[in-house]
Amino acid sequence: MAKEYVKFVDVTKCDGCKACMVACKNWNDLPVEETAFQGSAQSHPKTTADTWNVLQYIEHENAGGGLDYLFRHSSCFHCTDAACEKVCPENAISYTDFGSVVIDQDKCVGCGYCVQNCPFEVISLKEYKDKNGKEYRKAHKCTMCTDRLEEGLQPACVTTCHTGAMEFGDKEAMIRKAEKRVQEIKGRYPNAQVYNPQGVGGTHTVYVLAEKPSVYGLPENPKVPTSAVAWKDYAQPIGKMMLGATTMALVGAFVTNKLFNKEGKEQDGGGSNE
Amino acid sequence: MTNHWNDLQHTDCALIMGANPAENHPISFRWLTKAKENGGKIISVDPRYTRTSAVSDIYAPLRSGTDIAFLGGMIKYALENNLIHKEYVVNYTNAPFIVADGYDFKDGLFSGYDQAKRTYDKTKWALAAGPDGKPVTDPTLENPRTVFQLLKKHYSRYDLDTVSSVTGTPKEDLLKVYKTFCETSKVGKAGTILYAMGTTQHTVGSQNVRAYAIIQMLLGNIGLPGGGINAMRGESNVQGSTDFGLLWDNLTGYLAIPKASVPEHATLDGYLKKETPPSGYWSNRPKFVVSLLKSWYAQNATAENEFGYQYLPKPGSKNYSHIFLFKAMYNKELDGAFLWGTNPVVGGPNAGKEKEALGNLKWLVAVDLWETETAAFWKKEAGSDPSKINTEVFLLPASASFEKEGSISNSSRWMQYRWKAIDSKGEARPDLDIIHELALKLKKLYAGDTSAQASPFLALDWNFGNGPECDIDLVAKEINGYDLTTGKLLPGFGALKADGTTTSGNWIYSGFYPEEGKNKSKNRDNKDTGGHHYLYWSFAWPMNRRVLYNRAAADLNGNPWSKEKAIIWWDAIQNKWVGNDVPDFNATLAPTAPGGTGAIMMNKDGVGLLYAPTMNEGPFPEHYEPFESPVPNAFSSVELNPAVVIHEGDFNKKGSKGTYPIIATTYRVSEHWQSGSMTRNQEWLSEIAGYMFVEISEELAKEKGIKNKDKIIVSSARGEITAYAMVTKRYKPFKVRGKVVHQVGMPWHFGYKGYVTGDTANRLTPHIGDANTQIPEYKAFLCDVRRAD
Repeated sequence: MAKEYVKFVDVTKCDGCKACMVACKNWNDLPVEETAFQGSAQSHPKTTADTWNVLQYIEHENAGGGLDYLFRHSSCFHCTDAACEKVCPENAISYTDFGSVVIDQDKCVGCGYCVQNCPFEVISLKEYKDKNGKEYRKAHKCTMCTDRLEEGLQPACVTTCHTGAMEFGDKEAMIRKAEKRVQEIKGRYPNAQVYNPQGVGGTHTVYVLAEKPSVYGLPENPKVPTSAVAWKDYAQPIGKMMLGATTMALVGAFVTNKLFNKEGKEQDGGGSNE
Repeated sequence: MTNHWNDLQHTDCALIMGANPAENHPISFRWLTKAKENGGKIISVDPRYTRTSAVSDIYAPLRSGTDIAFLGGMIKYALENNLIHKEYVVNYTNAPFIVADGYDFKDGLFSGYDQAKRTYDKTKWALAAGPDGKPVTDPTLENPRTVFQLLKKHYSRYDLDTVSSVTGTPKEDLLKVYKTFCETSKVGKAGTILYAMGTTQHTVGSQNVRAYAIIQMLLGNIGLPGGGINAMRGESNVQGSTDFGLLWDNLTGYLAIPKASVPEHATLDGYLKKETPPSGYWSNRPKFVVSLLKSWYAQNATAENEFGYQYLPKPGSKNYSHIFLFKAMYNKELDGAFLWGTNPVVGGPNAGKEKEALGNLKWLVAVDLWETETAAFWKKEAGSDPSKINTEVFLLPASASFEKEGSISNSSRWMQYRWKAIDSKGEARPDLDIIHELALKLKKLYAGDTSAQASPFLALDWNFGNGPECDIDLVAKEINGYDLTTGKLLPGFGALKADGTTTSGNWIYSGFYPEEGKNKSKNRDNKDTGGHHYLYWSFAWPMNRRVLYNRAAADLNGNPWSKEKAIIWWDAIQNKWVGNDVPDFNATLAPTAPGGTGAIMMNKDGVGLLYAPTMNEGPFPEHYEPFESPVPNAFSSVELNPAVVIHEGDFNKKGSKGTYPIIATTYRVSEHWQSGSMTRNQEWLSEIAGYMFVEISEELAKEKGIKNKDKIIVSSARGEITAYAMVTKRYKPFKVRGKVVHQVGMPWHFGYKGYVTGDTANRLTPHIGDANTQIPEYKAFLCDVRRAD
């Protein structure tokens, strides 16, 4: 069995160079997409199906009245209890032995439940057309470069990071490192903390944040919705016994939209109207 | 750099001014982050709170163009609080030297000024010499005519209140920076100064760097690991280009070009006598010059014909740097131009005028990876009317770095060889091959011509192969040099001779290729040889020395000033200098021998120059306002550097502070490279930095009714551009001389070609340069901003 790894991101060592973004596009051969001017150094509002990590730039007036210019490499957290995995009706999303959470593109039907349920909003759908002109969709996100891990390489973003703001290694060692680092920087950043939310069973992208999670637009206490747990662990297995898989997807769509939609989100059906 | 990138990890304090390395030299932060982990402090001084400021311990805002005021205040602070390394100052600088009576300073002017010519008679600033020609000194530093006392007097005017009101830096921030950096005067500590074009691209650019030198010498930081003055070059091979004489007034290896305007330069003998000091390492200059001439003209260089000295072009009083060349072009004094990997329609100052000037050429050869804004200046897409432009333009496609073999020299002075990774596309060729074929063809065209113009081409020894491809290994050996008697490669510049029996294409690199098969720029041993200097990784000029002036890290007796900052020391048993680096000193010269304490060995007297009577605008840096400034000079009635050349008329319109009350500056972003011709033609980089923007403060935005992401117009006396407003908390208005002054900043990477396009910031910048180097003042000019709709 492979070792369980963690990508440790120390945002206080990041200097915002975006090399991780380019390295990701390069390794994963992702196309460019057109974005509007964001009013800051940030290039994309958030991760997309073609941009799996985005460098966030935040101008934050801290409690002391000083200005902090905060950066964060944002990408998939690879949760231990991943909501996306729980809600996927096609079992297209799975955990690897490395700890990464991956989407099987052959199994993905583009229903979008994972997009709807990701507490960190890192998954996106991409539209394609098949040779008959029929439209279909697939969900995409950071794979933690699982294809590289299988070859004994580290994720592309980690390899390219010149300040050592990203490290990749044994889960426990990385978490210990993160905890130690927080102690070192408390003087400069009193709100510094390790972000490894237990509501999702801990994550395989672990951060040292300089500020409270909300400053970065992150949920303070993300959880896997109990309904998602109920769906994956109870309703879906039973349903699959009773009905065919495709029918179950339709039922699932209904259930997901009824139960799991996050507050304040438009109910756009998440692809259920296909 | 006096030191090198990896060495930054040894610093106790890095003062970063006129640079934003986190964004523009990211690799620096690999090492600065390590320095921080070891307890080092980082200080960022910048008009704008940058990404570098974000990862620094201290940030101090500074109005563009007021570095000397800021640093003058630090010099005063260090002197008055006795935060200097006294023993170092007395022995390794010219602090104790007596200045002769001619020197004076009154109301912004040093003695010897000629108002009409805007030049100084530098002989007025001479140091006093004894009957033996040696400098007169007072090691107690008490004589009022010592450099030390004159320095103290000069900067006594740079008090905290005045400095703060000129720079706009709050007093508490000034004090915080001064105190923190001056702590490195303690033995056992080292501070480094990192700078880039934010320092140099001013009418006082050279003197900004001089101010760094004064501070670093007072604090005893030159020669130490984690110390020094470290210029982060604007491109990966800018270091190499200046080393190899790309500057118009240099041959190679920083040998000054002979000039027709200097009577002594009429003969080789006269040139060498005039330019060679009696002592210091430059006393070897004749060996370097004659070996260079032998390298260029081989058998055509003999003692009888002054080794071909007369083949060298000898410019008169004209200046041939960028602004002057474009002015000549603008005035129709030039027929043609080769623009090699340069894109002045985006990158040149007052770029609109430079574009206009190109239309006055009969022919233009553009050598580049893509058709740049410059190569296409005559097209409709450039806003030109092709029917009105008669310039014949040739575009020669060039290979990218990965498509060719050769070396680049980085900021650390490391010459690193690179191998070809892939073949060039289409008809693209390495620029070495292009120039090789050009040389061969010119020689052919001039064959049989007996005119004076033809003789340098015919005399030129060009033996790098006769085919279309240049034999780069032969070029490398030519740079290193040969012993013509044995035909063997030279071990280093110590073996060069002035009698015509040796060659070297660039003396400072001599020794990088000492034997057949041993091109040291190909060295790739990444084992730490001690002190993180990695002596077997590439080759650092001169003679693989990684930290320049490292003799100064040891005391008079040759012992390290401290265990923490030891680098080389005298080993009395072995009778030589030993340590972690190659000594930047005569390796067997004992500290007790004559000259054994002359740590700054290049200079005539073996000491660093707190007082530099060679600079064009004075021996001490003095604050003057930029060409365009919103306030009068607080330090004197002289507004502008009195030694700069002022270009007048249409070529360089000047804006008044009434019409253009806002300070503007230009800079770069991580994602783009120079004029963007490489990066705006790369999709992924274009994607992550796709828009031309102008950063403005929330306060200015409010005043002008501008919201974030609005389109705005920035105008200067030279032109106007449209861009997105980036409203930010990272710019704050300055309080300067009692009034509120705004500053805006913008990247200069954009033009009309490539995947992403945008207006060119240099449409706004002025045609004025530094008084010594003529580097344009891109970093401080006046503008106004308004909403575009």
